[in-house]
Amino acid sequence: MLSLNTLIAASLGYALLLFTIAFWAERRAKAGRIGWLRSPFVYTLSISVYCTGWTFYGAVGSAARNGFEFVTIYLGPTLVFIGWWWLLRKLLRVGRAQRITSIADLISSRYGKSNTLAVLVTLLAVIGSTPYIALQLQSITLSFSVFEGGGNANLTAFWVAAGLAVFTILFGTRNVDANERHHGVVTAIAIEAVVKLVALLSVGVFVVWGIADGPADIFAKAPPDMLRGDSIFSARWVSLTMLSAMAIITLPRMFQVIVVENANERHLATASWAFPGYLLLMSLFVLPIAIAGNALMPAGANPDLYVLSLPLSQGQENLALFAFLGGFSSATSMVIIAAIALSTMVSNHIIMPLWLRFSPPRTETSGDVRTILLRSRRLSIAGILLLGYLYFRLTGGSGALASIGLIAFAGMAQIIPSLLGGLFWRGATRTGALLGLLSGFALWAYTLFLPSFEGGFILSQSAIENGPFGLAYLIPNALFGLTGYDPLVHSLFWSMTLNVTLFILGSLLSTPRPLERIQASQFVDVFRLDKATGSYLVSRSATSEDLFTLAQRILGADPAQRLFTEMARQQGKAHGLPDATDGLVQTLERELAGSVGAASAHAMVSQIAGGGTVSVDELMKIADETAQILEYSQQLENQSHRLENAMQELRAANAQLTEMGAQKDAFLSQVSHELRTPMTSIRSFSEILRESDNLELPDAKRFLGIIQEESVRLTRLLDEILDLSHLEGGRGQLPLEPIVLQEVIEKSLNATGALLDEAGIVVVNTVPEAPVIVMANFDRLAQVLINLISNTVKYGRRENPELTIGVTRSDGMATLTMADNGPGIAAADRKKVFEKFTRLSESTLAGSAGLGLPISREIMRNLQGDLTLKPSRIGAVFEVRIPLA
Amino acid sequence: MTNPDLASDATRKRKLREGALLLPIFGAFLLVSPLITVFTGASSVFGLPLIFIYIFGVWLGLVLIARAMARRLDKG
Repeated sequence: MLSLNTLIAASLGYALLLFTIAFWAERRAKAGRIGWLRSPFVYTLSISVYCTGWTFYGAVGSAARNGFEFVTIYLGPTLVFIGWWWLLRKLLRVGRAQRITSIADLISSRYGKSNTLAVLVTLLAVIGSTPYIALQLQSITLSFSVFEGGGNANLTAFWVAAGLAVFTILFGTRNVDANERHHGVVTAIAIEAVVKLVALLSVGVFVVWGIADGPADIFAKAPPDMLRGDSIFSARWVSLTMLSAMAIITLPRMFQVIVVENANERHLATASWAFPGYLLLMSLFVLPIAIAGNALMPAGANPDLYVLSLPLSQGQENLALFAFLGGFSSATSMVIIAAIALSTMVSNHIIMPLWLRFSPPRTETSGDVRTILLRSRRLSIAGILLLGYLYFRLTGGSGALASIGLIAFAGMAQIIPSLLGGLFWRGATRTGALLGLLSGFALWAYTLFLPSFEGGFILSQSAIENGPFGLAYLIPNALFGLTGYDPLVHSLFWSMTLNVTLFILGSLLSTPRPLERIQASQFVDVFRLDKATGSYLVSRSATSEDLFTLAQRILGADPAQRLFTEMARQQGKAHGLPDATDGLVQTLERELAGSVGAASAHAMVSQIAGGGTVSVDELMKIADETAQILEYSQQLENQSHRLENAMQELRAANAQLTEMGAQKDAFLSQVSHELRTPMTSIRSFSEILRESDNLELPDAKRFLGIIQEESVRLTRLLDEILDLSHLEGGRGQLPLEPIVLQEVIEKSLNATGALLDEAGIVVVNTVPEAPVIVMANFDRLAQVLINLISNTVKYGRRENPELTIGVTRSDGMATLTMADNGPGIAAADRKKVFEKFTRLSESTLAGSAGLGLPISREIMRNLQGDLTLKPSRIGAVFEVRIPLA
Repeated sequence: MTNPDLASDATRKRKLREGALLLPIFGAFLLVSPLITVFTGASSVFGLPLIFIYIFGVWLGLVLIARAMARRLDKG
């Protein structure tokens, strides 16, 4: 058998190992080498502080008594974690944005930084957690008792409590800023998480494959009704699942590891599946161990200790020792984290406000806040562990302890309505939260907590059995005659009903204060306020020296120096203190909130800022000013926008004018050039005719013919130029009338028939027969079509030339396409074809001055249509768009 | 102009988020509803009681689905 000395040596050695690891992690973190210390898996493992000594030993006990019921305690958290995206993520974001230090701080911060609420939640957390801590001490002493000798239970509990206090104070209060995470503690907790998991799995594997012959053999030993009957799916099953789901968020230690100690929001994504996986592994062997214990252990053996006694009874001393260390890990990690969380709450919400009240009014004249804060936190830790120890001594060994875990769950679950309401319902108010919490806690205390003392505390035994003063409808376990239910279900039903009802009614019937309203939107809309500037605070009378002094006292000299230098740099100051702007005060308040909680930080900064509390008038003033500034700056912005637009328009107009000037110049030079060519030939031929006396008649006739031809060309050119300038000037709207498009096409083809035949161009007419009636001018439209056809004759030369004409309708427009299969128009030239006097290539035939297409386009635009050149692979495709009649 | 890829990506992300809401509801339906009593009979699978297989099977399934979804949600 293992001797007590071996056991103590093993515990001490293990504790020493944890101290070393914590110390090493702390050193490493301080040197900035955080690395894997803050990996998502360490975060996940730290959450497993949920599995306490009560679950390590008690789950098997529960399974031995009630079958599958134990699993509900793990299913609730599983459901919460796989739904992380909707609740935990928001909780984390809020916690980070508001620098929340505890569950009490969260509730207080949400409801207008109310210290009343903070104190209420803190007191209830202490009331709920003290028995829970006692339970851990008991589980350790019980596990000692399994081994030979066992030692003095009280003495063991005392030394365990003292050791834990030392560890927690050493690693839990190194710095005052609760948001600067406890690397040492979290690393040690993660190691403990691994130890307890491996220990339980080892015992499980030993039981299933060492003692029994595989899982089937184990389950064959189970009593036939163990896994059936009422234990699976009953009111209690549902209640326990709900309860554990609520507890995973509200238990002070769970809030501490999930929200406060979280280093990176993304770690939650990993924990969302890894933590449920951890829980699954933790519970996998619980039933087999319970069944084997029931079958193999003597009748009087305590089922809560099967994890230890089973390996011992088989002579597996090393395994038993390992299991003992697993249980030790579970219990100690819970106590450490709970003590840190509770001490933060107690010192921030109870000790600090009291100190603030009774200290001289101006903070800078009193002692160093930082020292006081650390001291109050250390005292709180010692006090909480002492309370736990005393509770253990007073109730030691009573059956009340066995169910105290669930009682604590039910107590902390009362926070849930105010918490969820605060996160998702903007209308939730402080009054509602206060009423809901108070009524919920009162009913919980009356129906569950006080009766658990079995007459030992406030409620007498007879009052529990027959109701106070013999009033039957007030019997704690059968309120208003509701009998036949499990006490836990009964209590949860009444307390939650009243809690939720009063929370909603109180919220609806009360008006939130301005600060509450601001905090409400900071919580509910946390994902929308990415870079929210935070809460308002009046800082008119604050000087930056005062604020700096305050910051030094609480944050310590160096961090304060850093913070203020950073702020000064942001304000654009190279040296010296920053100006005491609203921004500075807000930042400072947030930083301080990380150390002393939102309510205390608010009170301190307000005290310095001179206002004491923020009055409605001041808030309104700030809101007014902000609104005015916003409006003013918006006006300015609009104006500059308008100016900029005008500038842009001017620039564009200028560019257009320059371009038009250049076009005009080009046009003039082109016109003179075009006019010069015929003029030159007319002049030279008329000179020849005048000066040559011996000219033959046929020659003379030929020359005269040329002169006449050139004059006709000149006239036509001048006509075209006039026409174009007429059209371009927009003078003289062309008269419109409904005409049949087919008739225009017919006429144009007839007019150009000779030309087409001469060029050997085959016309493919795909125009539908049903008449397409358009609003246009018959002659002008015909002019455009003739222009296009003659264009094809000129440029569309190739073997087997073809001209395809088609008409489609869409959006009140008729589109006439004219496609040839000629050489086409190079992409670069496409824009140029509509410019005046453009000839696209040298192969241009004489006879056109290049005004055909520009004129056609002008005509079409005048007819409210358009003429465009469509990009195509073969030939040139012109598109004429004409409005339908 | 909306990019069709972006639009379908947004739809995918919205569905993923809605899935994240439904997963715990689905889990609760499987584990905390009268449905569970269907599996409390005397039958067994490979010598293991059916209810044992059911609860741990559903649990493992939830963990695996949560893992797949968490990876995608984290990326998005």
